[in-house]
Parts: sequence; C-alpha cells; structure tokens
Amino acid sequence: MNNWDRLVWNQREALLAGLQVTIEVCLISFAAAIVGGMVLCLLRMYVKPVRPIAIVLIEFFRATPILVQLLWVNYVWPELFGWPNTFFAAACTALAVQSSGYLAETFRAGIEAIPKGQREAAYSVGMSPALTFRRIVLPQVLLSSAPSIINQFTVIVKSSTLVSVITVQDLMFQSQKIVNIAYEPIEILTATAAMYIGFIFIVSMAGKLLADRLRRSYGIGSRLPT
Amino acid sequence: MSDSLREILDIGVFWEFRNILLRGLLVNFLVFFGAAAVALGVGLGAALLRVSRFRVLRAVGTVHVEIFRNAPDYVMIVWVHFVLPLLIGTLLHTRFELNPFASGVLALGLVYSGYFAETFRTGIEAVPSGHLEAGRSLGMGETLLMWRIVLPQVVRRMLPESINIFISLFKATTIVSLIAVPDLMYNVSMITQQEMRPLPLYTGAALVYFAIVLVAGSALRAVAERWRAKIT
Repeated sequence: MNNWDRLVWNQREALLAGLQVTIEVCLISFAAAIVGGMVLCLLRMYVKPVRPIAIVLIEFFRATPILVQLLWVNYVWPELFGWPNTFFAAACTALAVQSSGYLAETFRAGIEAIPKGQREAAYSVGMSPALTFRRIVLPQVLLSSAPSIINQFTVIVKSSTLVSVITVQDLMFQSQKIVNIAYEPIEILTATAAMYIGFIFIVSMAGKLLADRLRRSYGIGSRLPT
Repeated sequence: MSDSLREILDIGVFWEFRNILLRGLLVNFLVFFGAAAVALGVGLGAALLRVSRFRVLRAVGTVHVEIFRNAPDYVMIVWVHFVLPLLIGTLLHTRFELNPFASGVLALGLVYSGYFAETFRTGIEAVPSGHLEAGRSLGMGETLLMWRIVLPQVVRRMLPESINIFISLFKATTIVSLIAVPDLMYNVSMITQQEMRPLPLYTGAALVYFAIVLVAGSALRAVAERWRAKIT
C-alpha cells in the first residue's frame, strides 16, 4: 500500500489538475459537437446547394481515426486557416469535429423519425417552417436522441485521452509524466485506468437509465449504437 | 493560404515515401486482424459466461464487459504495454516483456472483446426458445446445443451487425503508433520530423484512412445486407 500512497495519493494535485483539463476539454468539445452536429445536419437536410459538401464533411469526420484527425487539425489547420493557435484549442476542435459528424447523423435519424403529419398539422395552423422546427421537431429530436448524445459524450471522454499526444496536460499526460519521473508504472497507470473506466461507466449507466426511462414514459425507442 | 493549399496538394512527398508508408499500412491491417481475432474469441467467451447458469460466472462476464467496454483504447494500450508485463513477471518470478506489436494487438483485442461480447449475448438471447426445446427433446446436451443450434445462428445474425465495431477497431489501430509500432501513422510522424513538411503528409494520411474506411465500410454493408436477406 505504501507505493500507492507515494505514487498516487501524494501526486493527487497533479492528477486533479489533469482531471480538470480533461473535463474542460470534454465539455467544450461536447458543447461544440452538439451545435456543429445540428448545423451539419440541417445543412445536409434542408440547404440544397451545400448538401454534397455537408455529406462529404460528415463522412470525412466519421471515417477518419481520431488520432489522425487530432494531428491533422493540430499541424495542418494552423497553416491553412491560421487557427487553432493553441494545443488546447486544437484538441477541442479535433474532438468536436469528430463527434459533430456522428451527432449530425443521429439528429438526422431523429428528424426523419418524426411523422410527416405533425409538420403538416403545424403548417396548417399557420406556423412558419422555422417555428415548426423550433417548437415541434427540435424538442422531440433532442429527447429521442438524448441517449445517443450521452453515448457520444463517453466517446469524447475516451478520445480525450489522446490529447496528451499534442502536449495538452490532461489526466493521461500527468500520469505519464509521473511514470517518467518515478519509473514505476504499475500503481499510477492502474489508478489512471480505473479513474477513466469508472467515470465512463457512470456516464454510460446514466445514458442507459435515461434510455429506459424515455422508453417507459414516452415510448421512445432508443437507438443506442453498439 | 494558396501556398499552403498547393503544398497540401503536392503528393510528391507521399509518392517518394510510398514503400515505407505502404508497409505501415500493412502493419495497420496486421494489428487489425490480430486484434479482431482476439476480440472475437474473448468476446465469445465473455458472452458465454454472461448467459451461464452459474451466478459467479455471470458476474465474471459482466465485470469483463463493463471494464473493457468502458476503457479508452489509448489507456488500455498503455496499461497493457507498461503494466501487464510487470504484473506477469512478478507472478512468474521472471522477466517478462511484450513487444509493442503484441501489446497493441492484445490491448485492442481486449477492449473490443467487450463490445463483441454484448453483440454475441444479444444474438444468443435472440434465438427462439423453441429451438432450444426442440434440441433438448432430441436429447442434445447444453454444450452440443450451444455449438450446433445457438452459435451458428448467432454468427450469421451478428457478424453483419458487427461491422461498426470492426470499423471502430480499424480506426483504433492508428493508436498503436504511440507505443512505437511502425504503422502508417508512426511512419508519417517520423517522415514529418525528418522532412519538416506536416501539411501533405498528415492530410494524405487522413485521406488514406478516410478512403479505406469509406470503401470497406460500404462494401461490407452491401455484403451484410445480402446475407441478412438470405437468412431471414
């Protein structure tokens, strides 16, 4: 137990600082991914001229491995667009970009699942398309895709372990730093793995409970990706 | 801007290093197939544990699934590469080492076994109970029943639906570059350091993976669609 004290408990400040960075990266990219996913989804479904571009972007974001995307955003985007200019911003952008592709498809499935009659009913009482979307479509889509959205958050947390590669000082970065100083990986890496697994377990349990509840209260079938 | 764009489109660098890059891509596929084999085998084992009659075995299966399904790929790869050999060495009282390739295959195999276990379990539970009763009434034992009646149906039904897991696994093989397995991404990083030209190399790598996943994904889905049409 002595080793655990020395290597894990005594390093708690560094680990907590890392955990904080991890949470910041995850929350920022999660919020950006929801907005970005909705924008991509709407562009794909309703804006004819840019539709092919939106499809290519969604497929590209979904089909490229997150590590490749992370390095690509980090090294190529600054020269192409002059942004992102910090490692932290690059990390958030890469994670957000990947998840926005997945969420765009989730939202599309949600929108397509809404019966056409509802929209027609809304138009017939004089609601504009924008108002119909905001009042009728969007609330149902957000509710029915809530489990998938939460599931996407676990994906973001898993992917966020990779941001240490571009020197963002997250939990993984801090624990590897301690390993490099102490040369004793067993306790610290096991503790780190347990922290990630525990955190993701709790989030995915919450998602599962929510999906059950939605199914029971509203009869909304969950389409949790495996 | 236009200069950078021209540099991105300059595939000369890619062509110049085509040999080493292709060898890297081959390593990606080797890791993929190795990890897929481990994941399918261990996943099937865990699924059988989860539908076992004994509560202890069921609990072991559940713990396996929950640990590995919730473990980030990178964390698991680092853990298997740096911690597991030490633990095994302590147990056996000898020096034990895993080379990076074996660590990568084992770690990814374990992580994805968690996903496959769930897929297999849903498949096992979806087999109509009438089939089991029919088998039992013919005097088949539980083991024979599993191998002859349940698993053939599970494999046919679940393999098409596992395509997304296979695709995620293929994408995750890029992470083994971080423990110095010389895959495509590793070689790209090495060449970048040597040539100082990240633009065409990283963009090229992204496009290569994109093309592979897109083509392989749609091809597999088309095959699966046909297969499913045949069995139902």
